Amino acid sequence: MDYTGYMNEVAKRREPLVIRELFGLQHGAPKDVVFLTAGAPNPETFPIVSGSLKLRDGTTLELTPDKMVDCLQYGPTPGYPPLIEQLKTITETIHTPPRWKDREVLVTTGSQSGLLMALEMMLTPGQTVLVEQPCYTGVLSVVSPYNPKYLPVESDGEGLVPSSLRAALASCSPHNKPKFLYTVPTGSNPSGAVTSEDRRREVYQICRDNDLLILEDDPYFFLHYDGKTPPTSYLSLDEDGRVLRFDSVSKVVSAGLRVGWVTGPRQLVHKMNLHKGSSVISSASMSQVVVSELLRVWGLEGLARHTAQVRQFYQNKRDSMLQAADKYLTGVCEWTVPAGGMFLWLKVLGVRDTWDMVMRRGLEGKVMLVPGHAFMTDPIRPCPYLRASFSATSTPIMHQGMKNLAELIQREKELQRMKPQQG
Amino acid sequence: MTVNKSQVTSVFWICEDVHYSLLKHQYYNRMNYSKYLSKVAARRKPSGISDMRKYLVNPSPSLVWLGSGMPNPTQFPFREVTVGLNDGEVLHISQDMLSSGLQYGPTPGYAPLVTQLKAMVERHHSPPRWSESNLLVTVGAQDGVSKAFEMLLDPGDYVVISDPCYSDALCMLASLAPQYLAIENDDEGMVPANLRAALKLAANSEEKRMPKALYLVPNASNPTGTTMGEVRRREIYAIAQEYDLIILEDDPYYFLTYEEEQNIPPSFLSLDIDGRVLRFDSFSKIVSAGLRVAFVTGPAPLLAVMELHLQSSVICGPMFSQVLVSELLREWGEEGFSRHTAKLRIFYKNQRDAMLLAASTHLTGLCEWTVPKGGIFLWLKVVGVKDTGPMIIERGITKNVILIPGKEFVVDSSKPNQFMRAAFSCVTPEQMMKGMENLASLIREEIALQNNQA
Repeated sequence: MDYTGYMNEVAKRREPLVIRELFGLQHGAPKDVVFLTAGAPNPETFPIVSGSLKLRDGTTLELTPDKMVDCLQYGPTPGYPPLIEQLKTITETIHTPPRWKDREVLVTTGSQSGLLMALEMMLTPGQTVLVEQPCYTGVLSVVSPYNPKYLPVESDGEGLVPSSLRAALASCSPHNKPKFLYTVPTGSNPSGAVTSEDRRREVYQICRDNDLLILEDDPYFFLHYDGKTPPTSYLSLDEDGRVLRFDSVSKVVSAGLRVGWVTGPRQLVHKMNLHKGSSVISSASMSQVVVSELLRVWGLEGLARHTAQVRQFYQNKRDSMLQAADKYLTGVCEWTVPAGGMFLWLKVLGVRDTWDMVMRRGLEGKVMLVPGHAFMTDPIRPCPYLRASFSATSTPIMHQGMKNLAELIQREKELQRMKPQQG
Repeated sequence: MTVNKSQVTSVFWICEDVHYSLLKHQYYNRMNYSKYLSKVAARRKPSGISDMRKYLVNPSPSLVWLGSGMPNPTQFPFREVTVGLNDGEVLHISQDMLSSGLQYGPTPGYAPLVTQLKAMVERHHSPPRWSESNLLVTVGAQDGVSKAFEMLLDPGDYVVISDPCYSDALCMLASLAPQYLAIENDDEGMVPANLRAALKLAANSEEKRMPKALYLVPNASNPTGTTMGEVRRREIYAIAQEYDLIILEDDPYYFLTYEEEQNIPPSFLSLDIDGRVLRFDSFSKIVSAGLRVAFVTGPAPLLAVMELHLQSSVICGPMFSQVLVSELLREWGEEGFSRHTAKLRIFYKNQRDAMLLAASTHLTGLCEWTVPKGGIFLWLKVVGVKDTGPMIIERGITKNVILIPGKEFVVDSSKPNQFMRAAFSCVTPEQMMKGMENLASLIREEIALQNNQA
């Protein structure tokens, strides 16, 4: 595939820095070549010389002085080389992507920064943008300043709806075709849906027919609740090389380390790498070394054990939340059981829009959730949904929260009755 | 908004306090920042979710918060962290801090670190408009600078830069397709007369597109190593006022000037009576490059726009790094930090001196250079060679020396360029001697090649 057509002018103008190529020469160069190139600080001046991280399972990760230098020095833009190798192994093992040799892996400062780079590589003002709806707010915040023409695609309990995708594409102007589809196929934020494999295959075909790239944002990949095997990723179906996949350690290892990675066609990942080089230069080296050491100590088996444990943990949380919802919100709200992720997506019955209910009266009602409007591409249309997070709340608090919510909704319905209908 | 010098002098006889408040009133003309924003920047809005953060300030204990998308920290596999310092101390990162380090944090930065950095800025710069300023932690200074460029520049907008200019800045700018006013330097950096002339020309051009931004590295500039003196800085600030420019002060070598701390010329931030300076500080050269911790200080309205972009770009910076830097600063205190930067100055000054020795030993007669007053670079002019580019790129490796050709630091890299940048931060004196010896040999061969081709 030739990817130039997907790139905007800013991306096309990005060129490799000769300086970076010269730095690159240093790896593997003969010892007697004197490099006077890098504007890097001298490691002798680093004030931290060693480190030790104790894990919950009792093992200790030692950061030796050599490793600590790696932690504290600029690293290569694509990522800490041992970590790149490990991430490639993990990605290849889990997804066996077709055309593996045509792909690159780039470490990102959290998957959000990967998404930003991919989107800023392609967005032009006024462009048609295809996103599944409800849509992750982090993507809306990147896209909206470009004044896009949003084409939202419906999703239901089984994830993205292929017929809605077809209809959306049929409705768009031939002069302003979208370049990509953005989707969170596992445990979508906020809907909690996992797009079934059948649907993924159908969606892939539609994207193929319409020349679309697929931005597969999968931070909840390990947080799938039905069945032991993880869902089939778009990456694993990607015969054409049209998928940019965004992975993250944020939900399973640490959010604060800011380590994620993008896997995709070489030409596109190279462009993103250039953007990365002229913004953060490299992702935090220490974070990458820590994740790398963790993966080294765990191996693939240890990683599988840990993620299985994390999955069970969040599944239990989900079940507790559902119990609380069943108890207090039956007849008050509607919802489908989240098949993945951290959120319960509630439709409030009898309330046209939840924004004011939450933003103006939620505090008083002693419960705060996110009004569904935040996840919608239409800034005007009323939205009766709410997103409730179950990741970090105890069972008693969940019950209290659902009880408070039921009362808040009741008061809102009364308020609505007293107000004249607004057009 | 212009500075009218006669208005200043006419109130000078009044006592200090009244003078100051009159001055403030005279120039208390809130800058209209919206006119500087690029089209995309002007459209950035806070997300609905971020609006909710205000409810987290002093929440009632009975408030059930189900709004956050944060993972549960009990699932993060780390329990305890200690780091060993070069002075023998061991820092134990407490449970609370470790939790902060491992979780999503606020976009502007880990709160204790932001507090420390604000204190640092106030101490070092006493910014005149401090109460109207803000500070953001960025993922390295370069990320801050690139976000600032993207905030200010639409394609075709003018940007004022030095000639030569930091190569990465040129790289960031190239993708934005601005028009350049590249102002020639002398051994103090940007020359005010050249700046004035260029701005006048731009003002009179048919296009009527005025420059919005001026980017410079005032201390130990990359690549030239020049440091701009106080008088020159005040002149440049006055010109920026006249032409209503935002000044991007990129200052990663602030603590690596070889003068004593008290002799460093005042920063542009410390001169900023209007609120037109965005200042970029960095820990990369003084604590760690790999932690990616830096910060930008400037007018609150501009920082608010940058914060939105930062949020949609990384959500928050690497919190683990920020916690470590914060703990290190707390452990050191002001005194320890000063001691550390004093040691750095000595270290890099010795490196510089060793480099100068190597250069004068081997390059006398072949190259010209001025003595850098700070930083980590030596900027060499190769007198007898027309273009150092092919010499280095094509033939440098055969002579076992690699440095950066001068053309990487100019807007038009197709023009022949006689300069080269040699970094002396990470090489030993022996390597420097060898390197300069190899370089001399490379240059001599290049001159011979040139003569044969002539």
